[in-house]
Amino acid sequence: MAKMTNLYDVSKCTACRGCQVACKDWNQLPAVIEPFKGNYQTHEDTNGDTFTIVKFIEGEDPVDGVYWNFIKYQCMHCSDPACMSVCPQGAYSKTSWGATYHDPEKCIGCQYCTYACPFEIPKYRAREDKITKCTLCVDRVEEGLTPACARTCPTGALKFGERDELLQIAEERAKFLRANGFPRATIYGKVELGGLNKLYVLTDTPDKFDLPLDPKVPGQITFWQNWVQPYFGWLIPIALGGSAISFVTTRILANKNGDHTEGGHE
Amino acid sequence: MGSNAAENHPISFKWLTEAREKRGAKIISVDPRFTRTSARADIYAPLRSGTDIAFIGGMMNYILQNKLYHEEYVRWFTNATFIVKDTFGFEDGLFSGYDPEKRKYDAASWAFVMNEDGTYQKDMTMENPQCVLQIMKKHYARYDVDLVCRITGTPKNKYMEVVEAYAATGAPDKVGTIMYAMGTTQHTVGTENVRSFAILQLLLGNIGRAGGGVNALRGESNVQGSTDWALLYHILPGYLATPEAKKHPDYATYNAVETPKTGYWKNKPKFLSSMLKCYWMEDDPAKSYNYLPKRIDGKNYSHIAMFEDMYKGIIKGMIIWGSNPIVGGPNANKEQKALANLEWLVAIDLWQTETSEFWSYKALERPTDKNEYDIKPADEIDTEVFFLPACGSYEKEGSVSNSGRWMQFRWQAADPVGESKADLEIVHKLALKIKELYAGSSRVEDEPITRLTWEYGHGDHPDINVIAREINGFTVVDGKPGPQVANFTKLMDDGTTACGNWIYSGCYPADTGNPDVDYLARRRINKDDQVDPNYPPIGSYSQWSWCWPVNRRIIYNRCSCTPEGVPWDANRASIWWSGEEWTGNDVQDFGKNTDPNGPGGRNAFIMRPEEVGCMYSKCNEGPLPEHYEPWESPVKNLLNSQDLNPAVQIFEPDKQGTTDKYPIIGTTYRVSEHWQSGIMTRTQPWLAELMPNCFVEMSEELARDRDIKNGDDVIITTTRGDIKALACVTKRFKPFLIDGNYVHQIGVLWHFGFNGYAPGEPANRLTPHVGDANTTIPEYKAWLCDVRRA
Amino acid sequence: MKVTRRQFLKVTGATVASFAVVDLGFDLSATASEVQGVRTKDVKPVPTICPFCGAGCGLVVYSRDGAPADGPQLLSVQGDPDNPINRGGACSKGSALFNIREVYSPETGEQEINPERKTKPLYRAPKSDKWVEKDWDWMFDEIANRFKKTRDENFEYKDENGIIVSRCEALASMGGAALDNEELQLISKLMRALGMTYIEHQARI
Repeated sequence: MAKMTNLYDVSKCTACRGCQVACKDWNQLPAVIEPFKGNYQTHEDTNGDTFTIVKFIEGEDPVDGVYWNFIKYQCMHCSDPACMSVCPQGAYSKTSWGATYHDPEKCIGCQYCTYACPFEIPKYRAREDKITKCTLCVDRVEEGLTPACARTCPTGALKFGERDELLQIAEERAKFLRANGFPRATIYGKVELGGLNKLYVLTDTPDKFDLPLDPKVPGQITFWQNWVQPYFGWLIPIALGGSAISFVTTRILANKNGDHTEGGHE
Repeated sequence: MGSNAAENHPISFKWLTEAREKRGAKIISVDPRFTRTSARADIYAPLRSGTDIAFIGGMMNYILQNKLYHEEYVRWFTNATFIVKDTFGFEDGLFSGYDPEKRKYDAASWAFVMNEDGTYQKDMTMENPQCVLQIMKKHYARYDVDLVCRITGTPKNKYMEVVEAYAATGAPDKVGTIMYAMGTTQHTVGTENVRSFAILQLLLGNIGRAGGGVNALRGESNVQGSTDWALLYHILPGYLATPEAKKHPDYATYNAVETPKTGYWKNKPKFLSSMLKCYWMEDDPAKSYNYLPKRIDGKNYSHIAMFEDMYKGIIKGMIIWGSNPIVGGPNANKEQKALANLEWLVAIDLWQTETSEFWSYKALERPTDKNEYDIKPADEIDTEVFFLPACGSYEKEGSVSNSGRWMQFRWQAADPVGESKADLEIVHKLALKIKELYAGSSRVEDEPITRLTWEYGHGDHPDINVIAREINGFTVVDGKPGPQVANFTKLMDDGTTACGNWIYSGCYPADTGNPDVDYLARRRINKDDQVDPNYPPIGSYSQWSWCWPVNRRIIYNRCSCTPEGVPWDANRASIWWSGEEWTGNDVQDFGKNTDPNGPGGRNAFIMRPEEVGCMYSKCNEGPLPEHYEPWESPVKNLLNSQDLNPAVQIFEPDKQGTTDKYPIIGTTYRVSEHWQSGIMTRTQPWLAELMPNCFVEMSEELARDRDIKNGDDVIITTTRGDIKALACVTKRFKPFLIDGNYVHQIGVLWHFGFNGYAPGEPANRLTPHVGDANTTIPEYKAWLCDVRRA
Repeated sequence: MKVTRRQFLKVTGATVASFAVVDLGFDLSATASEVQGVRTKDVKPVPTICPFCGAGCGLVVYSRDGAPADGPQLLSVQGDPDNPINRGGACSKGSALFNIREVYSPETGEQEINPERKTKPLYRAPKSDKWVEKDWDWMFDEIANRFKKTRDENFEYKDENGIIVSRCEALASMGGAALDNEELQLISKLMRALGMTYIEHQARI
């Protein structure tokens, strides 16, 4: 079936952060209060209770002067997600319309996906010992509703719909912007990692928005996908080493032995 | 300009974005620093805080010199043609009639020349040197571009980009709108700042037209309503002046003094009479007029004056309905001390405000050890404090009026939390209790209470529809409510009608027994109006809620047409003359059958005695806006030798900071994620996490100069107090080049106090007790300070 | 059972005001099935207007039917798609309206009443450094008595020129910009009947 996604046009975003709060409202997420660090963007990254953030990036161009770029950042719902490939429990799945869905029931909190993701999106929620991330509001979409972020966006910077149609809109918009004061305007998500299920119209090159120019799945992960995962967890310490990973395997093996208590608070 | 719309009124950007996408609109952001609005604007021009009149004056000069104004509009719909008496004069920043002792003008010399029949003498060619257009041309000729930029610090190329883009809206098929907020008003020249916008818009023919206007972006959900209801010292509901003792000793004198002979306000006695009947239904208005409090003539009772008088001990008891002055009021240290001089304070809020806990030890903390501001600890404060928990906006029902005067209803969606109550119930029970205490009194001085009409149903909770019916007004039959009036045109001055607020008359025009139908604020039909296929809809949505006056969405809409009654622009047609009557996509702001070519057919501003838009008008500091520096300014006025607005009242001369100790311009502002004094957002975890602390924005140049790094704790000092805040060092603030020298400006968020999830120190401990010459709105936006690393 | 767009419009089409509030729906034949249903399904949204800035955006509140009065009741608060001012949009403050009443605990993730909300009348005595809880009746009695005492001691019926002035300059009222019009009607009426001249609200500051 047709892929459904969000198109996010930075040239219309005022960084009001309605999306960030609407996400919390819909996904029933507590606040994570951290001190101010000299930037409007208080959270430097997403976290276990914050699926999406708006990044504030300021700079100065010798010709155009000061700029202040805003960009909404969240799971990119990759077409071939590394998180899904590495998950030993099969907690990740792709919906037929393109969302990368993470099932908390199956998650054992091993956090291996957090190392695999080229965008560093999956985050660990300690109080439940689970991974969390943007769901593209699967529950809403499957009831015929738009995701909470797109629904609340006041300026129309976020739009939800069929990926093919949105891609066309995005192409036209980027073309328009290139002719109207933003010569470096471009699209992001069309080809990156074989096409993301998130589309961006950018007024400048991706690096000006803190996006990787050429996102890549870490080499070790590719190895894991192809060779290690099929043989379950026992090869990992040998293959990769390192304490973080042995922590991961310990968890996997513990769970295999049925010792793991789901949803336990630590 | 004067607002940061993307930040503080984010939804406005929905429509700005749409205008840009659909109609190629240009967005201009004029602000001391590069904001979220600037980030989405087509043109950004910085200006130094407090120089708006210079900025706009230069635009007017360019428009007048190059004849870019909308000439026919100006000729017919403004007082540009009016002849001013030759007693009018202007020299070196002072208009004629100034009394330096009293710091006041006698406006008599600014008057217009009248014909013998009482009409205004005009020159329709606008060439008479004494006509308003020529006087303006001369006045603003002094505002040449180079001088303006030396004052404002705006780069000349950016300034010219703004001027040229905006002047282009003088074409009849173009419109421009000015969105302003407190960046415009919170100055010693606040009123004249707004007037300069109004004059500019009149010159360009942008008033009364869809997509035009001078738009006040109001900061609170019902600051429109609370102004309409006159919770202000100088007005009664519906913008009638509050009586002053000598000026208005009795009912007849009030009506004689306050009622103009021309314009719609000639109906004023009907509105006053009906309001008095609403308050005291059983008494004759001539008698119940005596129950209204009379001010001491000329005395200032505004916010600053009120706290000065509280400080002096004049005020003993105060009730606060959801307000937080020791965070939101100017010179907050002094306002905090003033509260300690009260005998009792009643504070009503959802949250524990800093004001309701002004006596607590938390309120004592200051960034430096020495308590040089003499704040008293709890055991030295005798004030009794009564805190009443109010419920939230969706835990009760009622209507609010937005910036566009739309009266929209809010239904109850959840129960009040704990024992909290709606303010409606609180004021109702308080009134009943007070009436009970006075019951049986036969003293004449108690009559305002004993005779007060207070019939809102039997239970603890008043019947909201009874109140709504009273707001709309009804015919009084045998001293009791009779049938509803259709609107304010049915109100009478003989005591036969009662109406709580005449401008809202029409919101509940009939009583069929079904409030969903009768109370028009409840309407939810979201269909845009279109009565003629040649004229596209303009966004009136006249069946969505209700709008005052008489559901008219754009006021002064007569100006949207040529003198003959044809829309200037078919794509932006509000109303038009059909040959027999006015019709259109909005309710006409004009006599429905007044022929545009007949008598009065072009008098588009019916609320003015002149019946035209007043570019030249009477304000306390003169008939035309003139640039003056803020009370505290690092530079001399380059336009005239009056540094400060000559009509401003000085409350604390000893608190005026000087550049030797305080060389930096300070200003305050808000962010999208917080609201006003912050008590309703610092208590919301989802908002606290987005803006967790108070910060001060400053340029990289200033930070380097003061050895401050991004994120450092800094201390900001003024003559009024110090606060600690976190530094936000940014490229978005730049030093201003003012007349050859660099001047620094910083900006502090004023949302913070000691309560809630996002604590910080109140920026208003820094701001002065000095205000505008007409309204006394405090000069929060430009004052002097210094900043150092903590 | 999945709800089609048609059915969806039907279930969400009724509000307390009996006018259509429809979501920004689209047609999608759902396939993935691991997710739970939308918690606002079959819940009537109640329209409200944002209590923050003066733009007047519409929001809809979804609350749980039959939830106990003293506990959490809300499901979600979202922009009102029918309101022509915002057409469903809401900024950070508007989107956070849920928090005015309820929050999710950062420790447990559980939904609870916002702990910052004050639920009982409180009294602070002279020189005291703490609040004491009181009941409403006590409060109304005491406050009404303070009003009467201060008014009676300071009321001027006539000024020095013999003009009836009916004023009490020892009383002041402040605020109101966040209240409803019907509340303002009563406040304006009562404050003026008490003889107040110091009446101010947020428009001035």
